[in-house]
Amino acid sequence: MGLTTFLYSVYLLAPIALLLVGSFGATWTNTLLPTGFTFDWYATVAEDPSFRRAFLTSLEVVAATCVINVLLGVPFAYAVFSAANRGVRLAARIFTLLPVAVPELVLGFGFIIVFSSDVLPWLGSTWLLICAHCVLTLPYLVGTLLTDMDRLGISEMEKVAETLSAGFWRRFIDIVLPSIRYSLLSGLMMVSAISIGEFQISNLISGFLSRTYPVVLLQAFYGATGLACAATVILIVLALLAAGGGAFGARLTRMRQKVRV
Amino acid sequence: MIRFDNVAYRYGDGEGGISNVNLRVEKGELLAVIGPSGSGKSTLLKLLAGFMEPQSGSIWIDGKDVSGVAARHRDLGIVFQSYALFPHMTVLENVAYPLRLRGVDRAERAERAIKALGEVGLSSAADRLPATLSGGQQQRVALARALVYQPKALLLDEPLSALDASLRTEMRDLITHVQRTAQIATIHVTHDQEEALSMADRIAVVHRGEILQVASPKDLYDKPFNATVAAFVGKANLWVGDVVSSACVRTEFGDITCDASDWVAGDRVNVMVRPEAIIPLTGDQNPKHAANCFDGTLVQDRFLGAVRRYDLSIAGSVITGETGDRGSLSRISIPSDSVRLLPLQDD
Repeated sequence: MGLTTFLYSVYLLAPIALLLVGSFGATWTNTLLPTGFTFDWYATVAEDPSFRRAFLTSLEVVAATCVINVLLGVPFAYAVFSAANRGVRLAARIFTLLPVAVPELVLGFGFIIVFSSDVLPWLGSTWLLICAHCVLTLPYLVGTLLTDMDRLGISEMEKVAETLSAGFWRRFIDIVLPSIRYSLLSGLMMVSAISIGEFQISNLISGFLSRTYPVVLLQAFYGATGLACAATVILIVLALLAAGGGAFGARLTRMRQKVRV
Repeated sequence: MIRFDNVAYRYGDGEGGISNVNLRVEKGELLAVIGPSGSGKSTLLKLLAGFMEPQSGSIWIDGKDVSGVAARHRDLGIVFQSYALFPHMTVLENVAYPLRLRGVDRAERAERAIKALGEVGLSSAADRLPATLSGGQQQRVALARALVYQPKALLLDEPLSALDASLRTEMRDLITHVQRTAQIATIHVTHDQEEALSMADRIAVVHRGEILQVASPKDLYDKPFNATVAAFVGKANLWVGDVVSSACVRTEFGDITCDASDWVAGDRVNVMVRPEAIIPLTGDQNPKHAANCFDGTLVQDRFLGAVRRYDLSIAGSVITGETGDRGSLSRISIPSDSVRLLPLQDD
């Protein structure tokens, strides 16, 4: 068991470790490890206008995706959860899972067909990219929320709150939202991580000026190994920051929980 | 005061629900509703709470027909089996929440919440989160929260089912104490007949959606309306018998002398005798005045601590008795005044 874990960890972490090593290597061709030490690759990435733009686009897309996910996902999950009809609940669950089940390539092609026409000529715009990311990530957030709403016994708490004379909005604000806040944060971490690393659809539908970081990163693979490594390490750090940010947010929420009487 | 007038509610699939329910709970009274699962007792509670509307009949709270009144406007306090405390609020915030909804100012609601917590013996836990409390403590918080705004009635939905046996007894006493102090009409739904017998002023037995009997615990136990009630409330021997005369009934294992003056010879009845009423005649003990003596073979002997529950096979019938006596057993006596004749039920 221990050996399996060790071997699996090596298998998992070795490529990341090699990327890190490679990003500081001056040259790396046909050798096991790179030779020389340099920060130049990071400087190159930082100075490259297309990388800089893509980096900002990615942050913009992730932030907007998260906001839209909250605005759409929370009410949607709550509506599905509260639906009295079992058939409605099942249909809603299947519907939200569709984007996960359909290959991204198919989804991307659909976007190209619909939005490259003269009627809807929005292919290449950042907001269409955001929409696509929302379609891809929303099922994960809704799924997380629905599972936790079941697990937390929200319906019974709501019933009690109702008998204590709380109306719909009071229950939603006082009971439902605070109960699902950790669930929401962990869901958003997943949403951010997926959105940051998303390549397939972004590659198909982003315009030249709205390319996300992973799309531009692909170009780096055709250049120097060190540059590709450095650019990839930045993506990893970005993804880790999103995850860490989520965890920090959760901690903050817990700490700031005021005593309200 | 709570009143059910001919209330009926049937679920879509035809299974379950209640029909023709008439009930009355006076101010300060604790009415327990007992019945097996699926009997309709939870439906009764949901209708009263306002989570569902009766298909016919009406429900009255404090002299007002509450048909069409939303649950949040019925002014009832409910305690659920799962406690349903709000996990993100402290104990004090939980108890003060209904007061906050009613616009009570901060100082007053803190004061009233602390007082309510004091009544359930939990003042010291005011600043703790529900997750850090034991099941019994959480149940106390739920009780304080349901009573802090002085609702018109208190509804208890299997409030003790999730607790340990030892804690349950303690909580029974606490609930009855708090309920009596508050002088509030209370409906306590439970499947635990012992809980109902020990806590309630009156008990309603629900079976297949209908109320079979409403009576005080003692009356319900001693004078059950029929065999179903007798079997559900406490343990009971139930045999089929034929009335022979106004003082005798014939069972499969022999004639039993008892008061059958309410019946006519030839009537088929259920003969009920509580196990603890049966007197074992051990050793050479065979008093002449002992009525209805029968000899049998011991087929089951269960030692339960304070008592011993035994099954005696007599001419193919089984008689269950309870005794503190630990001696050998083969002969019993059924005192005539412990025999009750009930209308025969096919099922």
